[in-house]
Amino acid sequence: MFGKMRKFSIEAAWPIAISVGMLALWEAAVRGLHIRSIILPPPSEIFVTMIERRDLLLTHLWPSLYLTVLGFALSVVGGIAVAILVTYSKIMRKGFYPIIIVSQVIPKISIAPLFIVWFGTGTMSSLLLAFLITFFPMTINSALGFQSIDEDIGRMARTFMGTDWQIFWKIRMPNALPYIFSGMKISITLAIIGVIVSEFVASQEGIGYLIKLAGGLLDTPLMMAAITVLSISGLALYGLIAHAERRAVYWQSSSDISGSAGG
Amino acid sequence: MSTLPKSKENPGAEPSSPTLSIKNVRKLYHDLEAIKNVSLDVAQNEFVSVLGPSGCGKSTLLMMVAGTVNNSEGEISINGKPVTGPRPEIGMVFQQPVLLPWRNVLDNVLFPIELLKLPRAKYVERAMELLAMAKIDDFAHHLPRQLSGGMRQRVSICRALVHDPSILLMDEPFSALDALTRDEMGVELLRIWQVHRKTVLFVTHSIREAAFLSDRVVVMGRRPATIIKEMTINLPRPRQIGLTEDEQFNQYVRGLRKAIEASHVR
Repeated sequence: MFGKMRKFSIEAAWPIAISVGMLALWEAAVRGLHIRSIILPPPSEIFVTMIERRDLLLTHLWPSLYLTVLGFALSVVGGIAVAILVTYSKIMRKGFYPIIIVSQVIPKISIAPLFIVWFGTGTMSSLLLAFLITFFPMTINSALGFQSIDEDIGRMARTFMGTDWQIFWKIRMPNALPYIFSGMKISITLAIIGVIVSEFVASQEGIGYLIKLAGGLLDTPLMMAAITVLSISGLALYGLIAHAERRAVYWQSSSDISGSAGG
Repeated sequence: MSTLPKSKENPGAEPSSPTLSIKNVRKLYHDLEAIKNVSLDVAQNEFVSVLGPSGCGKSTLLMMVAGTVNNSEGEISINGKPVTGPRPEIGMVFQQPVLLPWRNVLDNVLFPIELLKLPRAKYVERAMELLAMAKIDDFAHHLPRQLSGGMRQRVSICRALVHDPSILLMDEPFSALDALTRDEMGVELLRIWQVHRKTVLFVTHSIREAAFLSDRVVVMGRRPATIIKEMTINLPRPRQIGLTEDEQFNQYVRGLRKAIEASHVR
C-alpha cells in the first residue's frame, strides 16, 4: 500500500511541478510585459474571477453538465443496445453497421444548425448533439467487446453445455466491460464538446453561452474562468469513470487498461 | 480423507460394453477428408492416448466426441447413447487453460456447475477437494493472472472433473508448458486419475507422454487421419517418473516411434 502511494506521488510529481512552473511563468510574463488583461489575464486574476463570480458561473455550469451527463447516459444505453443487436443479428451486422460506420464521415458539429431548425434553440438540440457525437464511439467499442471473445473460451462453454443466454451473461458481458469503459472515457469528453458547441450556436444558458457572451463583452477574465470551470468539470467526470473502471474491471492491471477504437 | 462421491458405475451400461464407442467415423471439411474411417472402443476407466503428428485431425476427433463438431459419417456413442451434441458426461481439458480472467480459481472450477444449472453450494466442497488434490487450494481465491502456466492447467483439470463426468477428454493439455512442468503434470494427472477413476481419451503428439500415461495408445497417421497402430502398454501402476528410465518403457517408445515413422514413408 505504502509502496503504491509512493510510486503514485513520484509519478504525479513531474506533471504537477511543470504545471506550477508554467503558471508561474505565465503570471510573471503578463506582469513583467504589462500585457492587458483583455488580451491575456494572469492566472491569479482568473482565479479571483472564479471566486467572485461563482454564482454566475455555477448558474451556467449546471445546465451544461446536466445535458452532458444526460446525453452521455443516453448514448451509453443506446450504444450498448445497438452493439448487442449488431452482435446477434446478421441483418444489423451486415446491413446497418456499415451505415453507422460510414455516417461517421459527417462532421457532427456541422449538423448543429440543422438541429436548431428542427428542434429550436432549446435544450433538445444540445442533448441530441451530445448524443449523436458520443453514440459512435460507444457503439463501436461495445460491439468490439461483445464480439471479441476468445474462440477457445466459446468452445469451452459449449463443451460444458453452455447456452447462448449463459454465454452472453457469463462471458460476453464481462468480456465487453473493458471495451465499454474505453468507449465511455472517449464519450464523456465528446459529450462536453457537443453540448458546448450547440450552446455556442443557439442557447440562452450554459457554459458555452457564457463563453460566447463574455467574448462579445471582451470580458476575457470571465471567459477564461468559464473555460477553467469547464475543464475541471470535464476532468472530474472523466475521473469518476476511470475510478468506476478500476473497480469494475478488477481483473486487469492498470497497465492493461487502455483506450481502443476512438471516434 | 475424501468425502468425494466415488465414480458411479454407469447405469444401463453392460459391464462388457465400452463407455465410449467410435464406429467408422469419417469427417469431411467440404471436399477435404480430415478423418478417414476411425473406429475405437474405450472401456470404462481405461486411459487411452491418441498419438499423432500435429494437424492430423486428433483434436477434431476429440471435439466430435465432445459433441461440438459433427461427424460426417459413422457413429459415436457414450454409454450406449449416440452423441448428437455436448453432454454432461463429458469433462474436457484444452490445450490452453481457457480460464475466465474475471473469475477466481474456485469460481472457474465451478463454471460447469453453473452452466449445467446444478446447485453450486453442493459442489463447493467437491471443488475445494479437487483443488487440494491438485495442490492449488491455497490459491482458490486468486485470479488466473496471478498463477503460473502449470497452475492454470491444474485449475483447468479440476474444472473438467468438478461435475463428476464419466469421460475425461484431454486435448494436448500439457503441450503449452515447459518440459520440466510437463513431466511433473503427467505424474500429477496419474495421481489424480488414481483417485478419481475416469475413462480418459488423451490426445498428444509426444510419444513418451503417451507411453507413460496410457493403458493403450492408438497411433494416427497423417491426413486423412486413420488409426495405423494400436499398442497396449503393460506397465505397472502407480507409475512414477523413474519409469521413463526403464528398459521396458523404452521398448514401447521405440515401437511407437517406428509406427509413426512408417506412416511418414507411406
